[in-house]
Amino acid sequence: MQVALKKLFAIMPFLFGIGFIAPLIAQTMTVWDWNAPFGMERIVFGLLIGSAWGLYATLRGRWI
Amino acid sequence: MSDHYAIHPPVGRVDGIDFDVGPSDEDENEASAQEALAPDTKPSGDASAIALRAPAELDRHTRVELLKEERKIAAKYHGGPMWGYVAATWGCYAIWLALFPLTMMDIVPIWVAFPIATFIATAGYIPAHEAMHDNIARPGSKHRWVNEWVGKVATIPIVFPFSLARLMHLQHHYHCNDPQKDPDYPDEAPNAWAAWYKTWWNRQPGVDGSIHTYKRVVTEMGTPEAAKALKDTLLVQLLYMATLFTMAWTGYAIEAALVWWLPRHIALSYVRFYLSWVPHHPREGRTGRYEQTKVFKSRIGHFMSMCMETHAVHHLYPGIPNHRTRHAYQELKPILEKRGVDCSAL
Repeated sequence: MQVALKKLFAIMPFLFGIGFIAPLIAQTMTVWDWNAPFGMERIVFGLLIGSAWGLYATLRGRWI
Repeated sequence: MSDHYAIHPPVGRVDGIDFDVGPSDEDENEASAQEALAPDTKPSGDASAIALRAPAELDRHTRVELLKEERKIAAKYHGGPMWGYVAATWGCYAIWLALFPLTMMDIVPIWVAFPIATFIATAGYIPAHEAMHDNIARPGSKHRWVNEWVGKVATIPIVFPFSLARLMHLQHHYHCNDPQKDPDYPDEAPNAWAAWYKTWWNRQPGVDGSIHTYKRVVTEMGTPEAAKALKDTLLVQLLYMATLFTMAWTGYAIEAALVWWLPRHIALSYVRFYLSWVPHHPREGRTGRYEQTKVFKSRIGHFMSMCMETHAVHHLYPGIPNHRTRHAYQELKPILEKRGVDCSAL
């Protein structure tokens, strides 16, 4: 359990990117009536950004 | 259990009132003052790790007399009605909780909810802080549960479990400005801009900042309370993430962001800046009883800086409620000046 939790928290920024940032980007684009590039769905665009950003934060240990 | 973490505050007794008398002065001085105050008063807990510094020009007798006088004044400001903190905490928590359905149903516009949520998250630290020092109801009292639930509820918006917050804050008092043992030491920065930046930097996932320092300290403490605090932290963080993810994937990401996520971050930065950096900077080497904090004039006022202008009084007497530190300071000022505290700002 402890090991599982440690692993979970280690990848939490990545999960945060998928679980929160991605839908936040998609819903913000909807509110402001922005379309995703290349005919993508907004949520797909959000997932691309969110997962990439979360992965960066997981690997680098910082969000910026 | 690691023996270099103190777990009990020193307690004095004046006119029948027990209260935390803050970090100790010189050993001999402390002993004399304790003796002079009451025959049944004994310092409890670990000996202070505080370096002993008193202005060289004051002889021992003068220091003891000043300490006695100081404690008599402090005793007057202990206690008093605390129901305002309780009502504000529970009322604000109810409002904050209500903001979730109200914004999700478009009853309250999100731009209205956001500043309210930010204010509640930020201001909530003050009653929680009172509860950390048992100022709302002392251990063993009839209304002790109120103290505990004020602390627990007030810290929910900032996702900082009360058990951890209390342990770390008391460690901060016992080891104030000690680079190794003061859990708030990572907030130190050379100037205000750097301090604001550091409030954010210290929350980065891979940086050895606030939360990692807290986890290290509770792990080293090794007490049942520390183990509980660690467990509470994991649980609260998981619940927070689960709530954000669920709201976000059910179409309420903006509401989650502006009622909880962003207000929490703003509140944590504000609290770190005004409660940790401003009153303690510069921390280096300032571990003595009268030098752990500084008296300052806030540009945004006493209330907006969360009464931290007179945080020095809080470190000397944590049992004095936050709203009474200013008046206590005014009366203590002549003594503090004699003890070498720079009171020129106020």
